[in-house]
Amino acid sequence: MNTAEALFFAVRLWLSIGAFVAAVFLTVGIDRVDEDARGAYVFRPLLVPGILLIWPLVVWRWGVLEMGRDRWAARYAPPRATHMAAALLMAGAMVVAIWLGLSSRQDWPADIAPERLSAPEVSQ
Amino acid sequence: MSDKKSPFFVGYLPIPARLRPFLISAALSVVAVFAVAGVMIGGTQDDPGPGAFRFDYGRQTVTGVVSLVPYPLVHVTQGNDRIKPGHTLMLTGQGKSSVVARATPLERQLATVSGVILQRGALDMLQVAGGRNGLQAAEGTAPEQVPEPLGRWRLAGEICDGKCLAGAMRPGRGLAHKACANLCLIGGIPPVFVSSQPVEGSEFLLVTGPDGTALPKSAYDFVAQYISVEGAVERHGDLLVFQIDPDTMEVLP
Repeated sequence: MNTAEALFFAVRLWLSIGAFVAAVFLTVGIDRVDEDARGAYVFRPLLVPGILLIWPLVVWRWGVLEMGRDRWAARYAPPRATHMAAALLMAGAMVVAIWLGLSSRQDWPADIAPERLSAPEVSQ
Repeated sequence: MSDKKSPFFVGYLPIPARLRPFLISAALSVVAVFAVAGVMIGGTQDDPGPGAFRFDYGRQTVTGVVSLVPYPLVHVTQGNDRIKPGHTLMLTGQGKSSVVARATPLERQLATVSGVILQRGALDMLQVAGGRNGLQAAEGTAPEQVPEPLGRWRLAGEICDGKCLAGAMRPGRGLAHKACANLCLIGGIPPVFVSSQPVEGSEFLLVTGPDGTALPKSAYDFVAQYISVEGAVERHGDLLVFQIDPDTMEVLP
């Protein structure tokens, strides 16, 4: 398996698990953890693309809500203390990534002249 | 808990006077930063070059001798106003496909080819039209095409897919284009080596594997990077063919 095949396999595996999670969560789980969703069905297919991508988060939140460990008030208290640092770090990381990308670019070898290593063989 | 003296922004209410300077300066700064960053990053990109599909030329039809090196070529014997006799054209199919299967039964025979030209300076290629009118046998005796060996060379430059380089894509070369180039090469598009300096008067050389085989898969990892590589050069008509030795490929610093 080469690198491209491994990447495709990983993406397929991730999306397949996501599809399974979406199928179970949208048919069973959502009714159990969100009373406002009971009896509402049209919006559920809209959630499928998101669940395919972030299914681990869906599974984790589903588990938290099922086990009654949800601290609903915490949702309204975002981690303010780290937001500024995270934002600055991400902005800095973007600049560093661009700088690294540009600094590792090759220069066109305009000064390397073609070199003939041997003359063509003369057939008799 | 709340400070009633602190201004608070609400989108559907007028902006509090104390927040207005901050809001205006922040908005202008964001626009300015993105504009400057866009210009600076854009300025680092290479010129994509003048290559393009020459739809303005209209459909081009010429007659010539088909050869496979193993990529299909036609050595023009009866040209037109734009494509002169003696010129050697690389042939490609539509999209990322080759015309090897259609050209193979016509190898070393006269054929009429028709399609759209891609052109980038001295480099050109014919995208053969679909159907029988694109490539069909022609009446007459095909003159023998004898390649002229030019010896073994070490060249510096870049392996590209010839179609995108000639103008199907802009940019049609460089790392940003590597994935597209490799897909084209997998599809059988003729690969082209862009030499750092002209070789026997030509900056562009059709690339093959050793002894006239297709470009080896081991070369795909080197596509779109600046490399040095050794191999035999032959002149086929007015086109140079570079039969690379993949074991000698080295990425330049």
